[in-house]
Amino acid sequence: MSTNSPPQTVTVTIDGAPGQAWAGQSVTAVLVAAGIWPLRRNPVNGQLRGPFCGMGVCLECEVTINGRPGSRSCTAHVTDGMDIRTHTEPLPTAAHG
Amino acid sequence: MADLMTGSEADVAVVGGGPAGLHAALVLAQGGLSVVLLDESDTLGGQYYKRRPAQLTAAFGDFRPRGTELIRQVREAEVVVRTGTLVWGAEDAGRTLFTSDVRTGALGRINTRATLAATGAYERSLPFPGWTLPGVVTPGFALHLATMDRVPVGNRVVLAGTGPFLLPVACALLEVGARIEALVELNHPYRPRASALGGTLRQPARLAEAARYLLTLARHGVRVEQGARVLAAYGDTQVTAVDIGHEDGRVRRLETDALCVGFGFRPSTELPRLLGCDTQADPTGTEQLPVVDADGTTSVDGLYVAGDCAGIAGVQAAGVRGQLAAHAILRRLAPERAPAPVAGLRRRARSLDRFAALADRLYPMPATADIPDDTQVCRCEGVSAGEIRQAAETGWNDLHGTKAATRAGMGPCQGRECGHIVAALAGRGSGPNRAAECFAARMPIRPLPMAATVEGQEVP
Repeated sequence: MSTNSPPQTVTVTIDGAPGQAWAGQSVTAVLVAAGIWPLRRNPVNGQLRGPFCGMGVCLECEVTINGRPGSRSCTAHVTDGMDIRTHTEPLPTAAHG
Repeated sequence: MADLMTGSEADVAVVGGGPAGLHAALVLAQGGLSVVLLDESDTLGGQYYKRRPAQLTAAFGDFRPRGTELIRQVREAEVVVRTGTLVWGAEDAGRTLFTSDVRTGALGRINTRATLAATGAYERSLPFPGWTLPGVVTPGFALHLATMDRVPVGNRVVLAGTGPFLLPVACALLEVGARIEALVELNHPYRPRASALGGTLRQPARLAEAARYLLTLARHGVRVEQGARVLAAYGDTQVTAVDIGHEDGRVRRLETDALCVGFGFRPSTELPRLLGCDTQADPTGTEQLPVVDADGTTSVDGLYVAGDCAGIAGVQAAGVRGQLAAHAILRRLAPERAPAPVAGLRRRARSLDRFAALADRLYPMPATADIPDDTQVCRCEGVSAGEIRQAAETGWNDLHGTKAATRAGMGPCQGRECGHIVAALAGRGSGPNRAAECFAARMPIRPLPMAATVEGQEVP
């Protein structure tokens, strides 16, 4: 594997805090690299959840990207100025019963 | 609804841009047919030939250059490539496909004369206490992070489950600087019994590949523990420890910040099953596979299936099966052409099938009977093994009744994570002759944003 030049970096905002990432990295990778694992609450039982399958199947890694909620972070790639928001605050009510 | 969508036409639609779909599309286009190749992802390649983003390729080099070359050939052959396009429904034996643009949600319709489902597979997980904790992931997730993004999934990684796939994942993790606390293999594959050797000798290259990985792991001092399994994961907001159970009853606790557990792959069969194709139980008895002949022809006239979605056999087999299906479609739709000789491809496919059968024998699945009652099985709806067992026992004694009674499998992943487990827990009786049930495939076969369906109604 050859290393030609260091990857180009971009600035993203995670829950309001600015951070650096390599252009083209998946949003999930940037979150994991920043040590941010819990991304959301399960709407039924309120448990914390983080990325699981990494290929768009389980939908556990949904975050809000540039204001669009329910975005799968594993299939999205970072761009300069991207705003990423996780949703780990406790749920006001349980969805069922 | 169909009348409201933007439509397009092609001789053949290939659904899935992985190894099977790429090889098939190339043969079909070179044979003179118009081909549309559809993939939900924003790049071709599927999981095996997944593309490293261009900016990272510039810095770290190409990943699996064979994939780059194959994709180049497909584009050069003037295959109409539609990435970022989700196929969420089909009718008329697959001659009508319903699509959605992943970015805009815009709905579409494709009319074809034949359809090849090359939808691949996803990882098979088995529930254990703590498996929903953040930091517990599939091995494939760790592999993608390491190879695509150059990010180690953790600093103290535990890899567990069963299957040959754990080995390349471990090596990729070492390459990005992760420390592997242990590789925990449920079975004893690396001292194969004499009865298994007949199959291995026919695929020496594949065997050598595994040996190379094991050598790399040994050089890095990675412990490969065979006959051991994950009993439970622990942590508050994310995983911090895992209990490993050994065959002699010993339990060892390891500290970890990333636990990767996988038990091979589940074929992604929703599209052929939606179209009513005949199915049969797979060798594990936990999946329903489309019944196909040597060329991927199904019981549905005009529908073909190739690659892992017809049964897990790996990348080489997927490529060969994709080519065979393409030749069958060419014989059907372009009968004026001299048919290409396929005996060599068929021989190679049979040989690769034998290797896949060997892997099935070396890495058998564990029983579902010992999943503790309080373990969550359905991650989306938070349904436990005990709730599913109880529903099955109190009269909801088939899979669909159990699903309706407990909501297991009704969440956004549509049962892709838990379906095989719910089926095993809800099934009456047991043994190799019991037909594996599975959740019915219904439209939309992949989750579709509500906004897409609402906007779709407004398309003139």
